[in-house]
Amino acid sequence: MSSVIVCPACDLAHRAAPRERGRTQCVRCHARLQRRHDANIDTAVALAVCALVLLLLSNAYPLVTMQVNGASSETTLIGAALGFYAQGYWSLAFLVLATTVLAPLLQILALLYVLVPLRAGRRVRRYQDLLRILTQVRPWSFLEVFMLGTIVALVRLSGYAHLAPGVSLWACALLMLCLSGLTSITSPEQLWYWVERSRAR
Amino acid sequence: MMQYTGRSLGLLVCVSCRATVRRSPGAQLRCPRCRARLHERKPYSLMLTTILVICAALLYVPANLLPVMHTITFLDDESDTIMSGVLVLLQSGSWPIAVLVFIASIVVPLLKILALGVLLYSGWRRSPHHRQQRSELFRMVEFIGRWSMLDIYAISLLATLVQIQSLAFVIVGWGAWCFAAVVILTLIAARTFDERLLWDSSVHERSRMGGSA
Repeated sequence: MSSVIVCPACDLAHRAAPRERGRTQCVRCHARLQRRHDANIDTAVALAVCALVLLLLSNAYPLVTMQVNGASSETTLIGAALGFYAQGYWSLAFLVLATTVLAPLLQILALLYVLVPLRAGRRVRRYQDLLRILTQVRPWSFLEVFMLGTIVALVRLSGYAHLAPGVSLWACALLMLCLSGLTSITSPEQLWYWVERSRAR
Repeated sequence: MMQYTGRSLGLLVCVSCRATVRRSPGAQLRCPRCRARLHERKPYSLMLTTILVICAALLYVPANLLPVMHTITFLDDESDTIMSGVLVLLQSGSWPIAVLVFIASIVVPLLKILALGVLLYSGWRRSPHHRQQRSELFRMVEFIGRWSMLDIYAISLLATLVQIQSLAFVIVGWGAWCFAAVVILTLIAARTFDERLLWDSSVHERSRMGGSA
């Protein structure tokens, strides 16, 4: 059974020995069959803690401060979503909040909640559901797009106002890097490899 | 050469944890590892994706015609559509950013709708041609889709920052709502579409299925 790998993209069955290192590709559609799962669980926990701190920082401090003729206004990461809410577009506000704050937060918290006990060989209750939710939430975290959107907004305003980037902007940029690293080392294959290793013990 | 597929061997792949599971008769099959529901193909994939793409195509028109924001200053009122926003960026001398926004907000959503249309057509027709290219087209649609959110984030920041009463303020227009709806609908459409439908009923598999029937 374990010697058959079915391509998730084109359903072609491959006869293959399970490999820990290297990547395998489907011979028909060239989709990735199995991601490597040789990462260290401590690295994942460290990255998740780092991402959590950066997420808190990026929401605690202003993202940008704008000054025009003595008047000034500033916004935080959450504030950007609330701007839509204040104008009555609650669905847009939810969309921005969900993709920039809630999805990354949920991803980080779910990972920490499952991985920290797993390091000690313990599995939390309903970890299956958490890992499943994690893989469903993950594609909706758009922080890197938000960063680019911020740059576009700053360029549009730069002719009219004096703009000062805040602590949050740098925290956001680091968070983006941290999250992409975290996502790439905690593939579903990797997460379930850790779970199964703790079962085998 | 005979090609075996998961379907012909009675094997299912869990979309959530990538486990390989043997299909067994039963109403609701769940993955023994992560408890996700298992389906041989995503349920109602073509139907759902078609509806989503049609809705997105319809909303694409108001998304580009209606203003996404009104800028009100003490000098004048200005309404910006997505395209005029690109022109503003072009005039302010930052052409790389203007090109970026043009591609992300106008070209990508249109290409996504067209590409999904092509993929749906070949899915409904079970077309056996250009499978590799269509698979690559689908992966490209999946990869670039999120970048269209760019303008929504830019507008949300502008609408929050530019709120200095008596000097200048930005009011969000319904164009922004339509535009966000186009982006989200096409993102969901790419997720409901089952890539395996592009590869189903290939010549080899068909001959095997024909033989067993």
